[in-house]
Amino acid sequence: MGAAPRTIEGREHRSGEEQIPRRRFLAWLSGVGLVGSALAGVFSTFVFMKPRATYGQPNRFRIGRPEEFPPGARIAIDPKRVCIVREGNKVAAISTTCTHLGCIVAPSSTGFQCPCHGSQFDVDGNVTGGPAPKSLSWFQVTLTPNGELEVDKDNEIQTGTYLSV
Amino acid sequence: MSNEAKSKWKNVVDFPANVRKSIFRNPLPSSDRGRAATSFSNFFLHIQPVRVSRQALRPTYTMGLGLISFFLFVILTVTGVLLMFYYVPSTTQAYDRMLDLRSSVAFGVILRNMHRWSAHAMVATVFLHMCRVFFTGSYKPPREFNWMIGVALFLLTLLSSFTGYLLPWDQLAFWAITVGTSIAGYAPLVGKTVKFILLGDATVGQEALLRFYVLHVVVLPLALSLLVAVHFWRIRKDGGLAKPEEVETEPPVEVVVVEPEPVLAVAARSAHAGSDRRFSLQGIVRGTFVKVDKLNPDTVFSWPNLLIAELFVLLLTIAGVMAVSLFFNAPLEQPVNVMHPPNPAKAPWYFLGLQEQVSYSAFWGGIGVPGIELLLLVLLPYFDRGKAGVGRWFARQRLLANSLFLICVIANVILIVIGTFFRGANWQFVSPF
Repeated sequence: MGAAPRTIEGREHRSGEEQIPRRRFLAWLSGVGLVGSALAGVFSTFVFMKPRATYGQPNRFRIGRPEEFPPGARIAIDPKRVCIVREGNKVAAISTTCTHLGCIVAPSSTGFQCPCHGSQFDVDGNVTGGPAPKSLSWFQVTLTPNGELEVDKDNEIQTGTYLSV
Repeated sequence: MSNEAKSKWKNVVDFPANVRKSIFRNPLPSSDRGRAATSFSNFFLHIQPVRVSRQALRPTYTMGLGLISFFLFVILTVTGVLLMFYYVPSTTQAYDRMLDLRSSVAFGVILRNMHRWSAHAMVATVFLHMCRVFFTGSYKPPREFNWMIGVALFLLTLLSSFTGYLLPWDQLAFWAITVGTSIAGYAPLVGKTVKFILLGDATVGQEALLRFYVLHVVVLPLALSLLVAVHFWRIRKDGGLAKPEEVETEPPVEVVVVEPEPVLAVAARSAHAGSDRRFSLQGIVRGTFVKVDKLNPDTVFSWPNLLIAELFVLLLTIAGVMAVSLFFNAPLEQPVNVMHPPNPAKAPWYFLGLQEQVSYSAFWGGIGVPGIELLLLVLLPYFDRGKAGVGRWFARQRLLANSLFLICVIANVILIVIGTFFRGANWQFVSPF
């Protein structure tokens, strides 16, 4: 030990110069790693929490043949939360979920009426009164090969777009 | 009898006393030293300071609101765990289990009543506690961060109560949650995603029930417990309850850096001189040093003064919850019918102010105004830092701040009253009289 103190001292000194930046770099790297893992963990938790498949009712469903909806009919299917409208030979599906806070609107003589906060809509679902911020959605209706009507609630279309049957 | 047998016999005779001594290191104190020792040798008492200011013990100063909130949380935890033994978070079973609590579970009704009323009461007492802290200026430095934790605790209390609201799966629950989660959907950018993640589906259903259940029984209580611990710990680290400046003579918390001696040196020294005084490094907390003959006349020993006060508040809380639970049953409406919303569909009462605001403007009422209010609450202690009027109710120096806060409180209370009593079918204005 005591034989070559200068050498040891010198070595310590030299390696000390390199060690501090290396330690600092490792500390910095560990910090980034920890914070990064935490952020990645939070993000992936939310990804995990957001379901890819839901177990509730499907958003695309068949509602029967066009003949079941005579011209002029406005039939609300509450479990599916849509109202099927037929005018002449044109068919459309209007959402009955209030755009305000998600209550089910009921068809009325003037259009639709929400029981929760008094929003009113005309026959096409446009807002005529109350706190609703936007009109009721229209969903795409298609005719399946076997002649049934199919509503796709994932596919919102422009108000006033009908399917001719 | 031989000596050995005698000592064995002595062990038998002393057995009860030895057990007691092994549990309680300190005999019931009869001196100031003993009273001090009791506070820091007992796990449950060491949370408290050895001495506590007379101001903190005055019922008219704190009204015990924070403590009542904590005790209600304890009652909620105990009754909640018991209810979990019989509850099933399933849309087909949950409501039946509510009926079972009424008909076939021993003490089922009283447990559910206690849980429901404590939850409502806790929302109220946490809010009133926040008002107390504001009106006495207790959020000011050095207590700003504890105020922020308090705001977080208030939000967690609301969320816990809200998630629990869905679990009975009756009409009241279903439509209150439908309305409540729709308000979340109005948040800009993330609103729709947040609502979807919260419900696990497009509408309130089995997924939402399961999610709310997990949040209600695990996630939120854990978060609450952690923050309550930090909240209590910070009370002491921030110098106890806020006192008027003339009383508060000691400096605010300072970090005292004490360089500990190398262990070997201490050991070596004590080996040389056995009677050497040795000091161990303990938590350095303001205002808890007990100096012989130099006791601050404004403080008293926690044992028994604080302990008796706390137990008295606990007694009052339990008595109040029991009294209400014996005479009023927790509401249970018809089972969920997703086709027929009650008219009007109302959120829980603490969100009715929000719902009333939402009926004017969905975004501003549900997200904008509450968001601004919350932001102001959080930022407040970092911008209102004056020392004047701290530790007194409605101090004249704080007239402006107190008035503004009072106006906000009254406005929110009025909105809740309107939403609760003055809104009928289709959210039309009705008279309750």
